[in-house]
Amino acid sequence: MPEFHRKIERSAIGFVLAIVVVSSIGGFIEIAPLFTIDETVEAAPDMRVYTPLEVAGRNIYLREGCYACHSQMIRTLRDEVERYGPYSLAVESKYDHPMLWGSKRTGPDLARIGGKYSDAWHVAHLFNPRDVVPESVMPKYGWLQRNTVRTDDLGEHLAAMRAVGVPYTDEMIANAGNDAFGQASPDSSFAAGVSERYGEATQVRMFDGNPEQVTEMDALVAYLQIIGRLTDVAHKQAALAQEGAK
Amino acid sequence: MSLDHETLVAFSKSWGLFYLIALAIGVVIYALWPANLSKFHVAKQSILDEDDKPWT
Amino acid sequence: MVAQLTSGERQLALVVLIALALVGLAMGVVGRADPIGVHGLIVLVLSVGLTFLVLSSLYAPEPSAERLSQYYDDPSKVGIILAIVWGIIGMAMGVWVAALLAWPDLTFDAGWASFGRLRPVHTSGVIFGFGGNALIATSFHVLQRTSRARLAGQFSPWFVLLGYNLFCIIAAAGYFMGVTQSKEYAEPEWYADIWLVIVWVTYFLLYIRTLARRKEPHIYVANWYYMAFILVVAVLHIVNNLAVPVSLGHAKSYSAFSGVQDAMTQWWYGHNAVAFFLTAGFLGMMYYYLPKRAGRPIFSYRLSIISFWGITFMYMWAGSHHLHYTALPEWVQTLGMTFSLVLLVPSWASAGNALATLNGAWHKVRDDATLRFMMAAAVFYGLATFEGSFLAIRQVNSLSHYTDWTVGHVHAGALGWVALITFGSIYSVVPWLWKRERMYSAALVEVHFWLAIAGTVVYVFAMWNSGIIQGLMWRTYNESGTLTYSFIDSVVAMHPYYIARAFGGLLFLLGILVCAYNIWMTIRMAPAVQPTSTADLPEPRQIPVSPAPAE
Repeated sequence: MPEFHRKIERSAIGFVLAIVVVSSIGGFIEIAPLFTIDETVEAAPDMRVYTPLEVAGRNIYLREGCYACHSQMIRTLRDEVERYGPYSLAVESKYDHPMLWGSKRTGPDLARIGGKYSDAWHVAHLFNPRDVVPESVMPKYGWLQRNTVRTDDLGEHLAAMRAVGVPYTDEMIANAGNDAFGQASPDSSFAAGVSERYGEATQVRMFDGNPEQVTEMDALVAYLQIIGRLTDVAHKQAALAQEGAK
Repeated sequence: MSLDHETLVAFSKSWGLFYLIALAIGVVIYALWPANLSKFHVAKQSILDEDDKPWT
Repeated sequence: MVAQLTSGERQLALVVLIALALVGLAMGVVGRADPIGVHGLIVLVLSVGLTFLVLSSLYAPEPSAERLSQYYDDPSKVGIILAIVWGIIGMAMGVWVAALLAWPDLTFDAGWASFGRLRPVHTSGVIFGFGGNALIATSFHVLQRTSRARLAGQFSPWFVLLGYNLFCIIAAAGYFMGVTQSKEYAEPEWYADIWLVIVWVTYFLLYIRTLARRKEPHIYVANWYYMAFILVVAVLHIVNNLAVPVSLGHAKSYSAFSGVQDAMTQWWYGHNAVAFFLTAGFLGMMYYYLPKRAGRPIFSYRLSIISFWGITFMYMWAGSHHLHYTALPEWVQTLGMTFSLVLLVPSWASAGNALATLNGAWHKVRDDATLRFMMAAAVFYGLATFEGSFLAIRQVNSLSHYTDWTVGHVHAGALGWVALITFGSIYSVVPWLWKRERMYSAALVEVHFWLAIAGTVVYVFAMWNSGIIQGLMWRTYNESGTLTYSFIDSVVAMHPYYIARAFGGLLFLLGILVCAYNIWMTIRMAPAVQPTSTADLPEPRQIPVSPAPAE
């Protein structure tokens, strides 16, 4: 053993290989089971994919760095479940490339924010958080209402997501731009296609209350309103557990 | 790949740990091997001279 | 500096720069409707600028063969200066974002100036800009001295240093435009990531080629740490950044992993970035500059070997402690926690080794603020690793996770360990590189030391308080069994601590400004007139007839 070590240490290349091998084995052994983790993720047959408008909104969420202050991961602790809702299941972020579990709560967790507040509340809050919550330290996001959301390339976005494993159909990809417009324009002829492709429960409405254009605000609010609602498996499980307790 | 999750987990927990212990023992033996002591002594002194030029 | 390159190296530089300019042009054209186009423009402008610099001396006479009997320190000099510049930018951003948490309207009504975009400029600016440049600069310096060999070639050190800084510029400019993968500490997008891989492979090859030329039979332990830093960071970077870009004309990409798999990969990366970027590399600095400055050999070379392998091996397992009580399988959480606890052993072995080296030289620590920087760094390293193991315990983590305690812990490590060991090394290496007898002002080093210590202590105490209060408020129940505090109550309670934290950060920022002034004045000082050291001046630029000015 000492002879062996002296040898590898004297030849730089051997030494380097030793470091590579030794440290990567540890890392590999720990993460290796995670490449088969999908076997352990709960089943959620009712789970749908994000609509193109929600994808655009999610990308705005990333762009503005919301994940730095808001987690999307409710831990299995009593106070968290009571404060935020049923704890997060692995399956709920199955289509999240990347995941947004977060590491810090300067603001509250958002894993169950969808449907908790009205669209108008979100719009007012994003425009100036302190109009709604006077003590808030969240930044203002005034430009979201001024910027039109880019929809012409959403088909390419969906195609890239399909390449990493999100089951978008050819039809969804072909109609991505129209669907994004339609979801925020309930009176337009494109609205029907959204419900057809993404399900009747999909929220088709004027999220920012402005009929003139589909803004970044529309997209972000559409995303915020779907967080935690792609599947209701977490709620079902919580209800089952409660019944079991009785 | 026919490895299922359970197999991988079992492998990680058992062989991974064995690997660690074997490695740790190897490193400690190397570090404490008496014959290596003089070499280590030379090595730690080697940086302290004032010679600031490449050797040829 | 270009004149120091051989004509072959100048031509190679020209080819690489022109190729890079073309890549920039292509990015600008293909991505004109996207932020990637702006990045292309930045690449184009920088590479054309450097092209002109190379062209200006393309036909200068060949450098003298004399250079081969000296170490090649020009890249280290530039690297130290870049580290300080990035440090000032990164820390100033840190003070700004800290202030935004206390006074959220202290900004402009524009996307680039909002908290979420400035924060990664702060984190990347200090970790990659300040820390990374300091690591590259000192690694070149240490590698040559411990190998007794000159760097292998003069082109690749520049390619590594400047290429790395191009990556940093692309990263920071991207954050302002909202270009981010949203993976913490791995925010830059796919094309910046690919570029970094190229730079990093060159760095690795340069290191190996220089080591292969070494005249010392044994590879000094500092190099082991630098080498582990280079290699493991490469592995981590490649795996965590696997992604599919929307198109060649889009900055945006989608991570290859999703959900729980992505979370695990990200924190395997995140934690090991702490281990191999923020620990291993800086331990390399410590194992060289601390004994050198103290004039005493490292206390136990054996211990340094054992702790090296301990750190290399065990850190890899600890990442999952970032995901306690989440949807991650419980056995992975337990494994992460166990290894985080065991990790304390090699960590304390390193810290103890450093402090024991100083045992018997305490009078030097008292008199020399540079050495004291390094001693304080070792103490903070011991504290931060203890705190890290403590926070990795599941039950403690249930309180501390998601709170400011984590932020305080990170800064105990980043300010107390990483920055202090870097400043200590910089103060040791600047007079050495520029052939000055000493720093311009020992008093200013002293001032910097106390500003840095005060800043760190204020910062860390503020975050300990706010983190623990936050964690407790979130889980406090009243008699009727319901939660006592709303979330916003905890936000209000943080206000005084956020002010204190911004103040602590400001002190630290003032410290690096003092440091920058001191370095600047040191460079402007007359060179030391020691007959021994004139032989290995890297660039014999001074005209032989004119004597050195008296003042």
